[in-house]
Amino acid sequence: MTLTIASHEFKALLRSAQTWVLAALISIVFAYQFLQALETFLDIQPKLALQDHPLGLTGFLSTQYLAPLAFLLALICPLLAMRSFSDEFRQQTMPLWQSSPISTTSLVLGKFLGVLGICILIVAIACVMVLSMQLFVTIDLGVLAAAFAGMVLCAASFVAIGLFFSSLTKQAIIAAVASIMLILLLWLIGSAAEANPSLQALVSLAIPTHVAGFFQGFIASADIAYFALLIILFLGLCIIRLDALRNVS
Amino acid sequence: MSESPKNILQAKEITCLLAENAGIRDISLSLKRGDILGLLGLNGAGKSTTLRIISGVIAPQKGEVWIDGINMQDDPLNARARIGYLPDTPPLYNDMRVLDYLVLAAKLRRVPKSTLDDQVQSVLSSCDLHNVKQQRIEKLSKGYKQRVGLAQAMVHKPALLLLDEPSNGLDPQQMQGMREVIQQASESQAIIFSTHLLNEAQTVCNRLAVLHNGQLKHDDSLDSGNSTNVQTLFNALLQEHSDVAEQ
Repeated sequence: MTLTIASHEFKALLRSAQTWVLAALISIVFAYQFLQALETFLDIQPKLALQDHPLGLTGFLSTQYLAPLAFLLALICPLLAMRSFSDEFRQQTMPLWQSSPISTTSLVLGKFLGVLGICILIVAIACVMVLSMQLFVTIDLGVLAAAFAGMVLCAASFVAIGLFFSSLTKQAIIAAVASIMLILLLWLIGSAAEANPSLQALVSLAIPTHVAGFFQGFIASADIAYFALLIILFLGLCIIRLDALRNVS
Repeated sequence: MSESPKNILQAKEITCLLAENAGIRDISLSLKRGDILGLLGLNGAGKSTTLRIISGVIAPQKGEVWIDGINMQDDPLNARARIGYLPDTPPLYNDMRVLDYLVLAAKLRRVPKSTLDDQVQSVLSSCDLHNVKQQRIEKLSKGYKQRVGLAQAMVHKPALLLLDEPSNGLDPQQMQGMREVIQQASESQAIIFSTHLLNEAQTVCNRLAVLHNGQLKHDDSLDSGNSTNVQTLFNALLQEHSDVAEQ
């Protein structure tokens, strides 16, 4: 049942002009960033060659091109997730789900997987650009796979946050803005520790702390656990919210 | 607590109080296969709330609902699998084609893959939607949209069909079409049909229940020769309503 709902959500996003406009704009940004990073690499390549362990093309593109794009996902994912429940409330289609023999968990997971599917395609566009260099040089597929995994985990967390806010309001744009604000807070929370060392604990809550390793080619279980907790927390809150709607008292 | 298997619906003293005295109080209903119950009441009487509780969309604060012997509270998924529900606004995705939408509705209602195509074709025929099955829902007229809404409620051949003012906004010809579909469906199902039009209820239904201010004022078969009583009661409620409005 979860896959039926995921497929419905995925197709609904593909039918939406908003998704295609967003994908086109993002592809332009990705292409521009990619070419710029490539040009920078060509400029500094002679200097890199002098180092004992010079950074390869994949490592360079991963940190200089893919890592900044992870931040862009903070804008893209909430925009894709914002309509998931808001539109159901606004168009009064929620009773179709509420009166069907499906659990709230299936509904939320299905919607999550459907939106995440589109986000993965977007992340794949960015990674395919790096992979295209395989035609000319040898690409470190391990580093690229780790960067891809990091971006997918980031996207999954942002979609979970987006779904939760979407379940709170009929206004999709409010859901998107609220999600972006929370993600920005989670992104910037670590910088508070720089000004005040007593807030050092906040660094471990910040997204950049946990995503940076992926772009350097190593995957730490603590980082995976951080993203898994974020996803479970917000999907869980979303399930609680939707179940509460059945209880009008 | 077990209920008689003959009852498709058994609702006992369901109560759901909403803001400012709205909602329903102590409603008890039972329906058997072949029953078409007309749920009559003025706007705000509690018809939609009653249907939303029976369909499992909202939970009652008090009371219990059994669908085909299954308790809604104990086993909500299996109970909901036996219900078809058409809310007052049909839950339609305007960007979907009619056929795709009905296939989705059938999958959500656990129709087995082996019979899915047959059941969708069957409901397309019974709701006379064959000629628009490839059209986007947004392009359909109000009457066709209502029929698609009815088709999604019937696609899994539920034991209990709940229709919340299904003839709202339909022209007389479309209303006649809707009545025919409902009467055909009643051969194998129990149906609750909410409306605020007494004539319509008398034409379609074989049993009438009157709701007023969230309470059940009357529930009897139309065969028992007391349709005049219902008419008198309903007229009195209408009069009371207009007196309150004038004050």
